[in-house]
Amino acid sequence: MPDTVSININGVAHDVEAGQRLIVAAESVGEVIPRFCHHDKLEPVGKCRMCLVEVEGPRGKVLMPSCTLLVSDGMVVDTESAVVKKAQEGVLEFLLINHPLDCPICDKGGECPLQDQTMQWGPGESRFVEAKRNFEKPIPVSDVVLLDRERCVLCDRCVRAADDIAGDPLLTFIDRGNHVQIQTFPNEPFSSYFSGNTVQLCPVGALTSVDYRFKARPWDLGHTRSVSFVDTVHSSVDAQTSRGKLVRVYGIENDRVNEGWLSDKDRFIFSAVHSPDRVTAPLVRGDDGFEEASWSDAMALVASRLGGYLGGEVGAIGGANNTNEEAYTLAKFMRSVVGSSNLDAQLGDGLNPHLAATVTPRATIDDLDRAATIFVWGPDLKETLPVLYLRVRKAVRNGATLVVASPAGTGLDAIAAHVVRYRAGSGSDVLRKFASGDKGYEGAREALDAGPVVGLVGRSSLAEDPMMAEAAAGVVRSLPDSKLLTLLTRANIYGALDMGLAPNLLPGRVSTADDEHAEMLEDAWGHLPRGTGRSTTQMLEDLASGAMRAMVLVGADPVRDCPDPGLAQRALEAAEFVVAFDAFVTDSSIHADVILPAAVWGEVSGTATNLEGRVQEVNASVRPAGQARSLNAALDDIAHLMGVDLRAAKVADVTREIAAVAPAYAGITPDHLTFESDGDGVIVPLEGEQPLKFIPVEVSVPVVTSRLTLHFPDALYDDGVWNRNAPTIAGLARQAEARLHPRDASMLPVHEGDIVSIEERFVMPVTLDDTVPVGSIVVPRNVVGTKGLTASTSVKVEAVEGGA
Amino acid sequence: MAGIAREPGFLMTTLEKGVNWARTNSMWPASFGLACCAIEMMGTGAAHNDLARFGMEVFRASPRQADLMIVAGRVSQKMAPVLRQVYDQMAEPKWVISMGACASTGGMFNNYALVQGVDEVVPVDMYVPGCPPGPQSLMHGILTLQQEIMAGNIRRSTGVL
Amino acid sequence: MTWISDLLGPFKGFAVTMRQVGKPRVTRKYPQEKRVKPPRFHGRHVLNRYEDGMEKCIGCELCAGVCPANCIYVRGADNPPDNPVSPGERYGFVYEINMLRCIYCAMCVEACPTEAITMTHLFEMSVTSKEDAIYTKDELLVDPDGTPNHPQAESPLIDVKELRLGDGWMRATSSAGRAEYEGVVAWTPQARNPDLPVEAGQSAESTGGDDG
Repeated sequence: MPDTVSININGVAHDVEAGQRLIVAAESVGEVIPRFCHHDKLEPVGKCRMCLVEVEGPRGKVLMPSCTLLVSDGMVVDTESAVVKKAQEGVLEFLLINHPLDCPICDKGGECPLQDQTMQWGPGESRFVEAKRNFEKPIPVSDVVLLDRERCVLCDRCVRAADDIAGDPLLTFIDRGNHVQIQTFPNEPFSSYFSGNTVQLCPVGALTSVDYRFKARPWDLGHTRSVSFVDTVHSSVDAQTSRGKLVRVYGIENDRVNEGWLSDKDRFIFSAVHSPDRVTAPLVRGDDGFEEASWSDAMALVASRLGGYLGGEVGAIGGANNTNEEAYTLAKFMRSVVGSSNLDAQLGDGLNPHLAATVTPRATIDDLDRAATIFVWGPDLKETLPVLYLRVRKAVRNGATLVVASPAGTGLDAIAAHVVRYRAGSGSDVLRKFASGDKGYEGAREALDAGPVVGLVGRSSLAEDPMMAEAAAGVVRSLPDSKLLTLLTRANIYGALDMGLAPNLLPGRVSTADDEHAEMLEDAWGHLPRGTGRSTTQMLEDLASGAMRAMVLVGADPVRDCPDPGLAQRALEAAEFVVAFDAFVTDSSIHADVILPAAVWGEVSGTATNLEGRVQEVNASVRPAGQARSLNAALDDIAHLMGVDLRAAKVADVTREIAAVAPAYAGITPDHLTFESDGDGVIVPLEGEQPLKFIPVEVSVPVVTSRLTLHFPDALYDDGVWNRNAPTIAGLARQAEARLHPRDASMLPVHEGDIVSIEERFVMPVTLDDTVPVGSIVVPRNVVGTKGLTASTSVKVEAVEGGA
Repeated sequence: MAGIAREPGFLMTTLEKGVNWARTNSMWPASFGLACCAIEMMGTGAAHNDLARFGMEVFRASPRQADLMIVAGRVSQKMAPVLRQVYDQMAEPKWVISMGACASTGGMFNNYALVQGVDEVVPVDMYVPGCPPGPQSLMHGILTLQQEIMAGNIRRSTGVL
Repeated sequence: MTWISDLLGPFKGFAVTMRQVGKPRVTRKYPQEKRVKPPRFHGRHVLNRYEDGMEKCIGCELCAGVCPANCIYVRGADNPPDNPVSPGERYGFVYEINMLRCIYCAMCVEACPTEAITMTHLFEMSVTSKEDAIYTKDELLVDPDGTPNHPQAESPLIDVKELRLGDGWMRATSSAGRAEYEGVVAWTPQARNPDLPVEAGQSAESTGGDDG
């Protein structure tokens, strides 16, 4: 029970939590004080003066801004006196001196705090007849945000959000007095990964997003709460639709997950849902390319072909971009209907499924707020899990010590107390030294000994051995009072693993080796092949060699995302029959014999599980494009054609079945999610313990030594099919570049901007970067110009003559 | 008959013109006043507007004696079968005018209780916008319908001339 | 004696008829002559233009928002700077009214901040097909001289000049619909005053937004 103080607001005594700002305390007891600059998640500045209230003090009642004032015992506050009213009217009249009354044009009109508060607290009439401020408008401050300066009320929210929350101090005020205006620094665009948040924060229409400009009005928007499928954090979003189209995505304050913040990719990727390149009808390979077919013909073909193979000759890759219900149906279809355990939602780019899905003890995202030390061994959080980066940043701002280990500079380095830099490929060497507190690592080691520790472990790049994360997890596990979060990044990969889309997992975090659960599942499903299946890499190898014959691709693009794209290409070309459930014709599904149009995020309902094991509802906000269908409905029909009833036509039935047969998901029924949880989702398992507990131990990983080792990290704006099809952010896709330490560059020899070739096939300019360790090269994965590069541990780099 | 109607010869066109003329000038409406529009419909029949000028002052109480149904007002789901029965009881040839916003589309009552357009129940020949349409609006609808019939643009789908 | 009154009954009836002979007739001979509508009659809508030919509609969707019958569909778009359709940044890119759903309440007229949509005395809109009752921007927008367009303008039943008879014309040209301001343009949708110099500061070129 936190301390309380008693305050008196408008003659009524209230007990409120101590240490709060008055404006927050008043709101918690139902007295709303108008505000512009105050925001719960931002530091108070007291800039707008809208929240003035009368507070009794030694010199009698005085006007004080309630957003900067802490509550104290015995405080007597008046929020409705004539003096307060006059102050509020005065402030609003003052703000409206220069604020244009172009509300009918402005995108904020209808949901504008300035509009609303002027209606409720304003003077009603302005005495100002002089000319208002006049600016060139709108100016693009970044590729996604537009600025109309004459609408700005100088509340400082965007500046604080960019500086304090995102750590990108790119907006600022210039000039003084009547000439204050907001701007970016000259020739430095507001190119933050979190710039969209300022649009949502702006209390007027000064900052607007490019893709929503003049598209719709607030009063005709439909709202659906869902979660973002861009990464595994599963930020809560409000998907807003107008006339059956998604037009905008806003963040929802889910304090356990994203606190209302979104990355720009979360916010702007939705336009790919309405891309003209979507597959909208089943495509069947004919004599010359794909031909449109009816669903019934395409499904009959798939059913007859898949039924013609032995179970083990068929494999399925993907399912990480689907809901838990779709993933479960795929697992059930493959295991009980096709009779194959060859299932993998990861494309050889992830971790041991046991580690990812069942690591114990598992941390939650809000454990970061309570941690004394945060240890990150894995991908650049800013590039792969931007909202988790914000949470780490917040924890560090509140006093946590951050230790970051990575093979090159990351977005976290600036706030890290200790940066452990290792040459790509030699991680285990450094980890051993670091764990034993060797010379040079004493500080970091000391920080780790001060618990509680939250370890965020993952694979820093595809070129790194997946065992490295396990080794790092083992080190964290050996610390007292430590918890672990694993860092997989693809959409609903944790849900897919929990639903058994892994060669060694059954639904509900059960190992395939667990015979007791397998028998129970066999009773429920009718048929279940025992034993461990093949992983994605093994499947691709077996397809290429002919040991396997058919493949089911579910929203997966192994040709782009596998560590060895060449192998994936060969495997898909060699396969006798490939069926792809996909929304786009990708580099992989182009090799398919049948492409079935898949309904995607925004079009399907169900549940999803994020990286901390939180199950949240995913809700459809628009109808599927064309003839696209959800995976569970399509698989249910195909299973019928193969003579099996999957009972998967309705999502709610599948959710109930998961709650019945998946041990970790016991009790997660649709009713529970709707009525028992508070809307922010629940962590599974609800009660009791899951059957499989993976406790990482320290393992040793071979160290790679060669001339130049490859660090191959993911970028936020990549060249993936979704990013390409979202017009707002497609242009932001990263271009290939090779980052080298100046000493390595001088040996090649190349200079900044020169062109190098990698593996004799990929040419890209060089950037000199002394955060890259000597003997290693950093190339971003799956960006424009690196498609097809194999994630081998070392690469051959040569200067290209005359390339510059 | 349908063949003749599609490829009319000289004799038959002349005959058809005569038939159409006769029909347009003695179109007797069945009174189907359902709501406020009915007041305007009654006003149309009264002295100031005087539908008798077009030979259609006789609002019949029996559908069997009527050629034209003016659906005047919102049609509730419960009224829909009644409306259909009245329409079925009318003798061919017969025409339907959907009068006003509610009868035509449901108007502002986009809810479970009302039929969203009477054309869900009976075939409609003429839609008259208005809420309610004044007598002259309704007469414009009637006159346009008469023009259409005279021009032979409207034939019954049953094939009966 | 009842038989006498029974016998006279028909004559009494005819007397009522005969008394009307010679009195002036009240029947209006529509369509040859039309009733003069009261000034604020709610006929069909038009979209107006400024004197210079610019469209008044800014695509703000307030009319669509306020419409109780949901019969208006508006979409805004960025005004092309080199060939602006309306003053200001935004213009009505799509404007459609379903005249069959419309209940002619004129809430849209009240909501319109630029007096772009007003109501006329035109009432003859009967159609044989529902699709024809959806008036698009082409039909709603008046010609530069203020003459409304009509989908069946050549019909003998239509008189497009009726527009100028009612208060729709007055409302279209005066602020707040007050007759004494007829022809006085008081509202300008331009957020920025073209007569004022632009304040010094960043411009679109110097943000680097396009090359970032």
